[in-house]
Amino acid sequence: MKKLAFFLVALSLSLGAFGQAKITLVHNKVEIDKAMKTYAAEWGKANNVDVTIITSGGDNGNMGQILQADYAAGEMPDIFVIDGPDTYSQWANILADLSGEKWVGQTSVAYRSPDGKVVGQPVAVEGWGMAYNADILKAAGVDPAKLTSLGAYKAAFAKIDAQKAKLGLKSVVSMAASTGMGWVTGDHNVNSYLSNGLKYGDKSIANLALQGKVDAKRLADYADWVELLFKYADQTVLTAGTYDDQVGAFATGKAAFLHQGNWVDPNLAAAKATFKAGFAPHGSSSAVTDGVFVSAPTWYVINKDSKNIAAAKKYLNDLVFTAAGNDYVVNKAGMIPAFANIKLQPSGPLSKSIQEWAAKGKIYSWNQYMLPAQFRSNSLVPIYNQFASGQIDKAKFISLFTDAIATLKQ
Amino acid sequence: MARKAKHSAVFWIFLTPVLLAFTLVIFIPFILGVFYSFTDWSSSAANQGGLKYVGFSNYDKSLHDLKFIYSFGVTTVYTVLNMLFVNAVAFGLALLVSTKIKGRNVYRAGFFIPNLIGGLVLGFVWQFIFNAAIPFIGPLIGLGSLADPKNFLLSNNVGATFGLVIVSTWQSAGYIMMIYLAAIQSVPAELHEAAQIDGASPAYRLWAITVPMVAQAFTVTTFLTLINSFKQFDVNVSLTAGGPSVMFQNHAIAGTELLAMNIYNTAFAANSLSQGQARSVVFFLVLVVISIFQVMASKKKEVEL
Repeated sequence: MKKLAFFLVALSLSLGAFGQAKITLVHNKVEIDKAMKTYAAEWGKANNVDVTIITSGGDNGNMGQILQADYAAGEMPDIFVIDGPDTYSQWANILADLSGEKWVGQTSVAYRSPDGKVVGQPVAVEGWGMAYNADILKAAGVDPAKLTSLGAYKAAFAKIDAQKAKLGLKSVVSMAASTGMGWVTGDHNVNSYLSNGLKYGDKSIANLALQGKVDAKRLADYADWVELLFKYADQTVLTAGTYDDQVGAFATGKAAFLHQGNWVDPNLAAAKATFKAGFAPHGSSSAVTDGVFVSAPTWYVINKDSKNIAAAKKYLNDLVFTAAGNDYVVNKAGMIPAFANIKLQPSGPLSKSIQEWAAKGKIYSWNQYMLPAQFRSNSLVPIYNQFASGQIDKAKFISLFTDAIATLKQ
Repeated sequence: MARKAKHSAVFWIFLTPVLLAFTLVIFIPFILGVFYSFTDWSSSAANQGGLKYVGFSNYDKSLHDLKFIYSFGVTTVYTVLNMLFVNAVAFGLALLVSTKIKGRNVYRAGFFIPNLIGGLVLGFVWQFIFNAAIPFIGPLIGLGSLADPKNFLLSNNVGATFGLVIVSTWQSAGYIMMIYLAAIQSVPAELHEAAQIDGASPAYRLWAITVPMVAQAFTVTTFLTLINSFKQFDVNVSLTAGGPSVMFQNHAIAGTELLAMNIYNTAFAANSLSQGQARSVVFFLVLVVISIFQVMASKKKEVEL
């Protein structure tokens, strides 16, 4: 009897699947994998669409491999993710024009092709600065609002360093610069040089780099900043630490600052961190730079050869315009929505801080992805690693950095 | 005559599954790979206009890439060290477990077990040992300097290369030991008895009887360790991720990026599949040449009864 019931259930399930639209979504945000799969299953049931979610995260373009393999096999997913000009040019030929979608009017950070067509829906807004532990800063007598320049940071780091034992700190900053953590230096830290203090959308320094030239004065300040971060970091975490080591030191109150973005909120929650936290600007310049780096780092795109474009478009629209979609984006996945009509607020302290900076308009661009991916990982990361492990001094760091940029000239 | 034809039919029937698999997963991809290395193939929508023939430019770019040249050097060093360590340890273990010590079956199984663990897992486990466990234990036993990040084995490229050798030896020595063990056990006992009567010492018997008699095994094991060291990838990715960096001809580059990882990074991190393919072809040719020389050299040392 039991067997028969099981058979009937299986039969009805397989019949139910018959004739359904099917969409496949490939994305790279591992931290929201569970929330997304739950939401997609519910959405699929309500809309009679069979949704398959494939998650492949990490650095080094793991998602890129899946897409390349799927493309070669003729099984390109219906929705996938691009992260900037590099991947856009890879897939430009098969991206559907989304200019007519309803959500386009609600966001300012949609991905536009060079000829102005909207092709990508922003997944979320993300940002980073120097994350600080407000409780420790208060105990040490440092006001985070004043941390807006190189000089201010130098004084603050020295002051906190002198009270390390009293505050229970192992180091002032939690920073990572090993080869495996190269994205912290080669993707994020380098952006202080490329965009800190410039008007939002100003790409002048990045464009200069693409011509093989550096702004020597700016680079000198920036090198001071890198030196400062490395000097006050826990050397073990700096040269041999993993992501968990780096974030863990901050989450457990062993470091006052953390060089990461609002994506560590779930990690802080998992570590049951109860301290107040927020972002201060990067102090990569002797002039005042009062803002943090905020952008939409990735975009959903639709494959124009997909058989289920309508379902794929509806899926993306529902994220923005349904209560369930909004609940998933903000509450379940803990992301900062990129759409004006979504009124929900994320609960993580760092995500809140990013929203506050953005509301004040004190934000700087993400220009790091204008530099080719292989340049960042192959050329820049080893230079930071040499500097971090003390193999080279600041002057050598500047000269290697300058030489590396010079190779970008076409 | 008829019997011979039947024989050959059976021969081909049994061979077909292997041939089919070999053709599908080795031969055709290999030919395609060589073909792609002469094009601008990217396996993405950027190639929708069709592939373009680019001649030897992928090869040219690869051979002028410092990182690729450095990878060749560090892979060679790693391979030589690894062959020595794995074979020395494996032979030692084989001698140990072929004696009549108590519990030798437990040892045999125990030494073999690391081989059953995946390289990726091993890499992460040993990374923990080198970066966290040793620095933790060091101060407890009065060696405080072990906790200094400058003294971590994985903190410089020489140490990290040895780290790779240690992990790889730990992983594969048990497997190679099994091959030696089988060879040692097949050495006829009367040779040893005769030599013993003539008054040969155990060390001399090892040198004059055991070693020449297992030379066949040496051919196999050195070949296996050579190929496996040259193709090392998983432990490399998880243990060192190519780091730490090193200065090479006034450029900072990844210090322990072995060839397989360099090819992977060229293809996927740098998104240049056709150039990665060209590097694989170069890699293949080098490997073939080295293996042929190695097998020829080892064959000369073999003796037959």
